[in-house]
Amino acid sequence: MIKETRITLKNVGKINPESIDDYIAAGGYAGLKKALKMEPFSIIDEVLDAGLRGRGGAGFSTGTKKKFTSRSCQTCPQRYVVVNADEGEPGTFKDRVIMENDPHLYIEGTIIAAYSINATKGFIYIRGEYTGSIDKTRKAIAAAYERGFLGKNILGSGFDFDLELKLGAGSYLCGEELTMLESLEGKRGHPRIKPPFPAEKGVFGAPTLVNNVETLSNVPLIIANGKDWYKQFGTERSPGTKIFTISGKVKNPGYYEVEMGVSLRELIWDLAGGMSGDKPFKAALLGGAAGTFVDASMLDERMTYDNLREKGATLGSGAVIVLEEGDSVYDMLYNCLRFFKHESCGKCVPCRVGTSMLAKGTEKLRNGVPDKRALLDQMVHESEIMAATSLCPLGQSPILPLKSAARYFAEELTK
Amino acid sequence: MPKIVNLTIDNQKIQAPEGANLLQVAKDNGIAIPHLCYHKKLTPTGACRLCVVKIKDMRGLIASCTVKVEEGMEVTAFDNELEEARKYLLDYLLAEHDESYDGSYHDEFRELIFKYALDKKENRRFPSIWKELGYPKDETSPVLTYDAAKCIKCFRCIKACDEVQGKNVLSFTNRGIVSYIIGGFDKWGESECDGCGECIQLCPTGAIVEKPHREKINIENGIKKVRTTCPYCGVGCQLELWVKDGKIVRSNGVEDVSPNYGRLCVKGRFGYDYVNHRERLTTPLIKKDGKFVEATWDEALDLIARKFTEVKEKYGRKALAGYASAKTTNEDNYLFMKLVRMVFGNNNVDFCTRLCHASTVTAMLRSVGDGAGSNSIEDYETSDCMLVTGNNMIETHPVTATFVKHAVQRNGAKVIIIDPKWTPLVKDAYIWLQPKLGTDVALLNGMINVIISEGLINQTFIEKRVDGGIKAYEALKELAEKYTPDYVEEITGVPAHLMIDAARTYAKAQRPLIATGMGYSQQVTGTHNVFCLLNMMLITGQVGRVGAGLNPPRGQNNVQGVSDVGTSPFTYPGYISVEDAENRRKVAKIWGVPFESLDGEKGLSTVEIMQAAYEGKVKAMYIMGENPMITDPNLNHTEEAIKKLEFLVVQDIFHTETTPYADVILPAAAFAEKEGTVVNSDRRVARMRKAVDPPGQARQDWHIIAEIAERMGKPLGNYKTESDIWDEIAQTAPIFAGISYDRLEHHGIQWPCPDKDHPGTATLFLEKFNTPNGLGKLHPVDYAEQTERANAKYPFILNSGRILYQYHSSTMSRRNKALNDFANEAYLLMHPDDAEKCGFHEGEMVKITSRRGQIETAVRISEEVLQGELFMPFHYSEAPVNRLTRDELDPYSKIAPFKISAVRVEKL
Ligand SMILES: Cc1cc2nc3c(=O)[nH]c(=O)nc-3n(C[C@H](O)[C@H](O)[C@H](O)COP(=O)(O)O)c2cc1C
Ligand code: SF4
Ligand code: SF4
Ligand code: SF4
Ligand code: FES
Repeated sequence: MIKETRITLKNVGKINPESIDDYIAAGGYAGLKKALKMEPFSIIDEVLDAGLRGRGGAGFSTGTKKKFTSRSCQTCPQRYVVVNADEGEPGTFKDRVIMENDPHLYIEGTIIAAYSINATKGFIYIRGEYTGSIDKTRKAIAAAYERGFLGKNILGSGFDFDLELKLGAGSYLCGEELTMLESLEGKRGHPRIKPPFPAEKGVFGAPTLVNNVETLSNVPLIIANGKDWYKQFGTERSPGTKIFTISGKVKNPGYYEVEMGVSLRELIWDLAGGMSGDKPFKAALLGGAAGTFVDASMLDERMTYDNLREKGATLGSGAVIVLEEGDSVYDMLYNCLRFFKHESCGKCVPCRVGTSMLAKGTEKLRNGVPDKRALLDQMVHESEIMAATSLCPLGQSPILPLKSAARYFAEELTK
Repeated sequence: MPKIVNLTIDNQKIQAPEGANLLQVAKDNGIAIPHLCYHKKLTPTGACRLCVVKIKDMRGLIASCTVKVEEGMEVTAFDNELEEARKYLLDYLLAEHDESYDGSYHDEFRELIFKYALDKKENRRFPSIWKELGYPKDETSPVLTYDAAKCIKCFRCIKACDEVQGKNVLSFTNRGIVSYIIGGFDKWGESECDGCGECIQLCPTGAIVEKPHREKINIENGIKKVRTTCPYCGVGCQLELWVKDGKIVRSNGVEDVSPNYGRLCVKGRFGYDYVNHRERLTTPLIKKDGKFVEATWDEALDLIARKFTEVKEKYGRKALAGYASAKTTNEDNYLFMKLVRMVFGNNNVDFCTRLCHASTVTAMLRSVGDGAGSNSIEDYETSDCMLVTGNNMIETHPVTATFVKHAVQRNGAKVIIIDPKWTPLVKDAYIWLQPKLGTDVALLNGMINVIISEGLINQTFIEKRVDGGIKAYEALKELAEKYTPDYVEEITGVPAHLMIDAARTYAKAQRPLIATGMGYSQQVTGTHNVFCLLNMMLITGQVGRVGAGLNPPRGQNNVQGVSDVGTSPFTYPGYISVEDAENRRKVAKIWGVPFESLDGEKGLSTVEIMQAAYEGKVKAMYIMGENPMITDPNLNHTEEAIKKLEFLVVQDIFHTETTPYADVILPAAAFAEKEGTVVNSDRRVARMRKAVDPPGQARQDWHIIAEIAERMGKPLGNYKTESDIWDEIAQTAPIFAGISYDRLEHHGIQWPCPDKDHPGTATLFLEKFNTPNGLGKLHPVDYAEQTERANAKYPFILNSGRILYQYHSSTMSRRNKALNDFANEAYLLMHPDDAEKCGFHEGEMVKITSRRGQIETAVRISEEVLQGELFMPFHYSEAPVNRLTRDELDPYSKIAPFKISAVRVEKL
């Protein structure tokens, strides 16, 4: 029987999110104070050695990213930190939990990250519908300015950093980092071409570190407690914890922070109270629309970035949607594909038209074509072409739910 | 120079500069990787994905248009997987595409469809769904149609408008498959689109197509294409005219050649219809009993020869005069000037330059020895500071302005504008100084004061290259002393801190260019204004190297050339004084006439000719392609002068405001009907080529001139073609000595070009100035109050000028539906506070009165002008501003003060 390991969520429900004193009393801003006495590069090393990986979905090493950003373009007068708080992946609300309950934590993480790469300006790009998070964050920023954690000469260290809140434009794609940068510059939500990466040329052409809220929330903890403390959680290659948001047919849907590497079975039955009805588990969609379906054969797999990838699944944002026997994978898949069609920005051909064609194909699966199996195979092939040719990860995503659904539930899809 | 790297594409070994675009490198090496969204004029977009390739040691498929080449790259551009992917992509595009094709445009997408055999429906995988997507068609623009069902969403139009033209009018609306392009906030016709057509030229499909003549064009059938030079402003854009059944049906910018690199403005692209206008003059007309009757060429030419000869015999040779034309070629003008000097026997020949840049040219000749722009138009793009004085270049030299915008938008260059009136370039400006009309000398002396007091002069330059060195500088310093920033603020109304910032910015810049326009030249103090600019340039040493100098953009396509070939009362071809006996002797020999027959006394200038006519000294005139009855100042006076002439010949392509006064009207060929050359604002000699035949009996200008000379008993020479005339020009004008038609086949050449092997000169004054001693000369000048001032009776100062959509007296421009659709009404700009005081509302018709005359027009209320000042475009004959202007002249250059007239405005 596993239990939650709350480190980023340790203050949730325990402090008043609008009180900076509460936060400080609970040990808050200790990480920042310590960091300001360290050399920036040793902060980067500490995060790198702690093995922290991006919680926005891709699982890229946060330390490595910082290193790139801090080293690129030494002559650039300005560097930026961008906090990705756009949380648009269906079924995901982990960042909201942090922002509504403990906003200072990720703000502190942002300031430390800024100091480590010598950024003087930051943006929090926050989902427009998240009114609670916006309110709490706004108040927290104001309080941090008041106490000298933001602004000029932070805590007498000589380091200046300004943090600004920007409301998202209401599109899923704006959560994608290169599109977010465009949006921050006031342009339409079309992704930029890569390279250059944000670390080289981000917002307004300057080196930019883009990190997810949950990722940044880990940073003060690592600095305050040290990398070794952090590495006691999770697995060797995926250290730390992860917040999962479970929905669907479980008794206790909600959020759970657990050590990296727990299994789906533990998550559902030990923490979420098991299946909500009498019917057995049928499938789960891991990681939201840009996620993968798994069936019962995967219940005991360790949920780490690498293990799931090896098994053809994803961890993604940590969203888990649980289906019971009798629920329709077809419907869920159709929803995912319609979602992509709706969210495709239209910049590149394969995604713009391909997502429409996949949605159409899915409809055809129900509206009587002679050879459904061939159609399904053809759709998977199309999604492969899209993955190979699309400009940004959105167009490369439909293959995830489609191929995994075809793998485990081909019979249902073609019936 | 970038390093050269080695790479392979499909095993072909290739060398290319490091960092070059992979797709372009492939293309340049004959490997045609399919692509639709890439265009070499634009930043890569990565939208169509057709250009995907594989690169060794890189994951997946990569859009080659987004890759920079590196040493050792191994690229696969074609294999089954890539071709399969491309086929899918094209198939996808087809699904959202309306395939109907009317042949009126080049369709790159369609070509690929055929190449991949997707024209056959059985080869396609996807159903056609475009009809369910609700794509709109936008036909609100006067010049183009946008059809979303044919749009492949490649972003080329957006970038064409933004990156190439610097306008940023277009964007996408909606998301995903239902997205499409919009102009402004919705409709093209209501947007800020000015009809330059760059988006049309770069659209790879039939989504954006030109409206005019679309129904006549089938690109696969019967279209002749002729390259020539634009007939409008002095940028000298290279055009490709499309001709169908003897009529021009389209005009495109020629890519890859200077000065425009494919860009055009609305006039160049849509202003050609006048050539085929039903009102063209097609036969000679002789006035009989106050009415014009058709005549044969022989009748007309004989009459002219007889009358000119009679006048000469009766009143002496000085009683004849000629107006030449900046709208005709060098060859035409050269023969015209030859006729005046050799046949009329005087130097009374001039043209409209006297009305635009004469003061600039005069000041430059005296100060630096050349009256032409010192740099190339392209240099604006790499400049870091541009001082734009009295020059609304976005409207008057739109393609030059694109280079300026690139400098600002791409490189962060600083534009300093000095202009009493708002111009669209203000949006891109670092500082806009808005002096009261006529206070420029004070303002510039103030800037010079700042430069001196802050030690920003270039002492070495002054010592080495300024006549009189430090001593001459001391004189300027002394004069400038009293122009302290506060004093200057008092005179000009320009806040001192802005003026100081402007002075510093200019003086400290690495590659500063001055672009000075009509606002500076068309004043009684025109020469003084430019002297001040030159003084500032010389003491800061901001000239004499690549990218630094002073440039007056020319108003008409051949103002520069007409001056260059000697159509001037003061100078022979190549700017050699008429008083220079040695040169006259040389020319007399080339022309085969006695030296003594060439008048060594300066002739009369444009306005002086009219004044002499008024006084009865000039009795007969020959006007080629000019319309003094709208372009001359103080028109009431001009009218009386013209009426006093005993004999007037007007040679033109249309009836104009001047032709009613003529005794004989001669029909001439228009730009697209001519061979020849013109010279643009950066001294580039370029070819005009014949695309269509002149209408009716209309003839080439030079043929007509030669005939008149012949019939007056003095044949001008034995010319078979325009090229023969050019060769004689090259003989008489040393600046053209090395230029011949065969060298102009593909691109223009900038003078001076002293010999056959000389590549032409991009920058003047690198080593020395063109003055007799090679040194630049300072001309310290004091500010003097304008003689024409506002008073109780005439409380406003009226400024006049040009707008984008019309051209000069609008003889040409107003005969194009497209241009008129954009702007076809005269107006008076008035500041909102003044309008309120006078009780005028927007659009109200008012009466404007000056000491000289009266006109009526509609009021437009706008903050583009200062309080107490007004502005009117001068193009419209129904409200001819020049009924109000003065003919008090700048004493040096004889230019007239079109910019400053005291007027009152009253309700009708
Ligand atoms: C379509 C799309 C949507 C995304 N949405 C989010 C999002 O809402 N929040 C987020 O943190 N990352 C999102 N990402 C991932 C970001 O691009 C980026 O990887 C992340 O912000 C990096 O931060 P991390 O390294 O801290 O994970 C999205 C990616 C894609 C392709
Ligand atoms: S993959 Fe989709 S979302 Fe991404 S650029 Fe292409 S169309 Fe836009
Ligand atoms: S209108 Fe033409 S250039 Fe613009 S996006 Fe569509 S196809 Fe491309
Ligand atoms: S015609 Fe010119 S201004 Fe108008 S949208 Fe096209 S590129 Fe822009
Ligand atoms: S040409 Fe490269 S993506 Fe279109």
